Amino acid sequence: MKFDSSTYRFTEPGKLGKIALSAGLVFLVISVLGYFQDSAQFFLAYITSFMFWLSIALGGLFFTMLHHLTGAKWSTVLRRVSESAAGTIPLMLILFIPILFGLHELFHWSHPEVYDPASPSLDELLKKKEAYLNVPFFVIRAVIYFAVWFLLSHYLTKTSVAQDSGHDDKLTGQMRRVSAPGMVLFALTITFASFDWLMSLDAHWFSTIFGVYIFSGAFLAIMSFMILVGYFQRRRDVLTDVITVEHYHDLGKLTFGFIIFWAYMAFSQYFLIWYANIPEENYWYLYRWDNSWKYVSLVIIFGHFVIPFVGLLTRAAKRTIPYLAVMAGWILVMRWADLYWLVMPTHHQGGFHFSWMDVTTCVGVGGLFVWFFWKRYTSYAVVPVKDPGLEASIHFTNT
Amino acid sequence: MKSIFQTLPQVILAEFDSAHSLVSAAKKLREAGYTKYDSHSPFPVHGMDDAMGLKRSPLGYVVGVMGFTGMIGMIALTYWTSAVDYRFVISGKPYFSWQAFVPVIFAITVLFSALGAFFGMLAFNQLPRLFHPVFNSEKFSRVTDGGFFISVQADDPLYDRGKVISFLESIGGRNVEVVDADEK
Amino acid sequence: MNVSAKELSDSSTQREILVLGNPTFEKITEAVSRIVEGKPTRWWYALFSISVLLTIMLFANLVYLFWEGTGIWGLNNPVGWGWAIVNFVFWVGIGHAGTLISAILFLLRQRWRTSINRFAEAMTIFAVICALLFPAIHVGRVWVLYWVFPLPNQMGMWPNFRSPLLWDTFAVGTYFTCSLLFWYVGLVPDLATLRDRAKARIKKILYGLFALGWRGGNRQWRHYELSYLVLAGVSTPLVLSVHSIVSTDFATSLLPGWHTTIFPPYFVAGAIFSGFAMVMTLSLIARKVFKLEDIITTKTLERMNKIILVTGLMVGYAYSMEFFIAWYSGNDYERFAFINRAFGPYAWAYWIMVSCNVIVPQLFWFKRLRTSIPVMFIASIFVNIGMWFERFVIVVTLSRDYLPSSWDYYSPTIYDIMLLVGSFGLFFTLFLLFLRYLPMVAMSEVKGVLPQADPHYNHGEGG
Repeated sequence: MKFDSSTYRFTEPGKLGKIALSAGLVFLVISVLGYFQDSAQFFLAYITSFMFWLSIALGGLFFTMLHHLTGAKWSTVLRRVSESAAGTIPLMLILFIPILFGLHELFHWSHPEVYDPASPSLDELLKKKEAYLNVPFFVIRAVIYFAVWFLLSHYLTKTSVAQDSGHDDKLTGQMRRVSAPGMVLFALTITFASFDWLMSLDAHWFSTIFGVYIFSGAFLAIMSFMILVGYFQRRRDVLTDVITVEHYHDLGKLTFGFIIFWAYMAFSQYFLIWYANIPEENYWYLYRWDNSWKYVSLVIIFGHFVIPFVGLLTRAAKRTIPYLAVMAGWILVMRWADLYWLVMPTHHQGGFHFSWMDVTTCVGVGGLFVWFFWKRYTSYAVVPVKDPGLEASIHFTNT
Repeated sequence: MKSIFQTLPQVILAEFDSAHSLVSAAKKLREAGYTKYDSHSPFPVHGMDDAMGLKRSPLGYVVGVMGFTGMIGMIALTYWTSAVDYRFVISGKPYFSWQAFVPVIFAITVLFSALGAFFGMLAFNQLPRLFHPVFNSEKFSRVTDGGFFISVQADDPLYDRGKVISFLESIGGRNVEVVDADEK
Repeated sequence: MNVSAKELSDSSTQREILVLGNPTFEKITEAVSRIVEGKPTRWWYALFSISVLLTIMLFANLVYLFWEGTGIWGLNNPVGWGWAIVNFVFWVGIGHAGTLISAILFLLRQRWRTSINRFAEAMTIFAVICALLFPAIHVGRVWVLYWVFPLPNQMGMWPNFRSPLLWDTFAVGTYFTCSLLFWYVGLVPDLATLRDRAKARIKKILYGLFALGWRGGNRQWRHYELSYLVLAGVSTPLVLSVHSIVSTDFATSLLPGWHTTIFPPYFVAGAIFSGFAMVMTLSLIARKVFKLEDIITTKTLERMNKIILVTGLMVGYAYSMEFFIAWYSGNDYERFAFINRAFGPYAWAYWIMVSCNVIVPQLFWFKRLRTSIPVMFIASIFVNIGMWFERFVIVVTLSRDYLPSSWDYYSPTIYDIMLLVGSFGLFFTLFLLFLRYLPMVAMSEVKGVLPQADPHYNHGEGG
């Protein structure tokens, strides 16, 4: 790995990409073997892993647009990381295709007989949702989501990179103008995608806050991911004077804030359902609590909220970079655990069920994600070199 | 009243013309070894804590202790009232429904932290203190408008009226003036 | 186009010009203090008289209410909660913008907030006072109001901590106290300014007393700044928690249209939305009447309009989620509740709400409209109206409950209307008194964001 600090480019991207790609392929192949052993489990594990890595990409898209919209100065040096994370959308589209082959294993509503009045497995409740929960519309929606995400991330990265070669400050304004409606589209697509791909795994259950809950997780994921990418480079003496402790401090503050935000969303959802105690919705929590899933639930309460909350409370914690990186890694693990907790119990309502595929699919999808991310990230300057706010970002300090 | 005045020392005031010169003057006073001095400005000046060699305010600990006290207190209160002293089944919920108590426990934690931040600040700053020698200076009223001042108190170990005056003048202080506590 | 590295690094330390006309510190003091020191204008007297009259009307109504009971209101059998709760939620919501401006924008280093934070905070306090009025009178027997507090008593009873209405007491009480402390801490240096400028003895004593002997010493500032930061820090979760808890008054119930998980964040977004609209209305008036155009700049107003647009979109998002999930739930009662909202007897209120809260803010997509004073003034008033109707629409969901035989149409009586109008009177009375006797712009904070406040400002010239 070689880095030219005058052009901010990797002249030689190192072995990371190759290692990630081979790990990804190997683990995916191993996981596919699992498909022949237990196809339902394979798809459950796969969609968990897919959603986990996709949430980093979507978080990246959100962070990039947020950066443009607020005109924030400090985050300019980090923008290439979030742009490149969002740049993995084409890969995620390809990785989405296997899910289409597992619709029957994953989604009860995808079986035509549940809508068939003549069939004994007719589901009266699902019948009322048929207009939304059906395979053709599901596919059309997925195409729309990916189209929106791809167009936004593609446009923003392309414009941002175009700015590198010239010195065109107007492009900054253009990116801002696209980000404003982009944000609206993003909010709607991530909401309905989370309804489609996570909430409808248990198609009887519904919650209005669900989209915001998934969004808060995606934001945490990209924060942690950026801290880790920064730290990875720092260990190799890359960008040490550019992404300074001040930037980590701000990332730490945002992570801390969003840990609270996530907990607020999670608690709001749980609390209102617990309090009203209506059978049509409380069962969703009951099968996550009245059996061995309880321990996973407890892990999430403590691991996803209490530990990072206490761990990031102090100023010193946010400014000690190796420590912050450990916390970021921990939060990513917890992001995976949260998605695992959303997906798995829907099909293992009796109790905790662990499969080796849960891990192999995550490494497999992750390997490809990291490979693709790294390929994009090293294909241009790793900071927007001609951005009018770059100098201010490098010299930024927390007051 | 007289006795309160007398416990307060004599003060020497010097005026400076900008935030910038105030910072450098404060730094020089510290380097010269003064300890009982203060820099006065209409707004908090950035970098002044470093210039005067002041550590971060310990107020955060007060707030932490207060918040924790409030939290424990409210947990105890909800437990005592709902699960011990006045047990009543309400909408089929357990006596100690921690979920339902989260809002009030949270509110009281925040309330106690805020009270800690407010009263802690007053205590550290020894406020309210309505009488102070600096108020006897006519010019000092400009400190709440656009003026920048340095005050050196008489209880400083290095205090020597003549030396302090000439030192303040040498670092750019104008209108150096000695203010006695019972001038008026 | 060739910008050298030197120029770039200079521009990085340079501050954005937030106050127009490059004033000195003294000019800021003068511009703000003269409002308090001078004689009030005829406008002030006119507005104050009207407000006081309305406040008197409010108190007269309260006396009558205590005498007669809540039967004078338009409550009927299914609609057991009427305007009192609508007004309560409306006023608490208004307050949230003040807290957001003073706390969250402070933590996010948004320096432009300094020109509006003081009176946004004042607005918060007065709005919360108006808000607290309604649950207090709505209990009917106000003389036993102390029952909401956990006080040992001869009946051996304790309040029910499982009740959302009790959470309100704690949440709004805490909110009021924290807002007051925050506001007062911010006021102390400015009160010292007024103390030092005061000519009349009575003013000198009063301002002096409340300024606590502030000397502006850095040994004080350092505790002061941390205290301010901590108060901002603890007020930030309050922005989320207070209106979330208010939303649980509805959302913990089993009622379709009330029981939905998005209620807490949806209420918070709505609160900030309505509060910003109110700050906008007030600052446009204050800016015009007191000639503060250089301090409350068009740029600041434009930023506020952007926040109104964003929060308006969030509110729109919540409306659509409610509608979609009501359909998606497959629950007939849920579905009916929403169809009834949009096309039932209260459809007129629903569509006022949608037009004011979702359609009107869309104007602010266009730079020309969000920088136009008349447009933003009218839009802010529409948003205020729309947000009041939002709470009304939620409350009158009660009019058609599970039992069709008890369905009834709720309409307010003249006393309901007089109490609402009277609460505006109380709010404006307090606000006008504030404008008259306290600095409406945080002078020490505005001075702190002037370019010359930066100790690096005259580098090279020598000090």
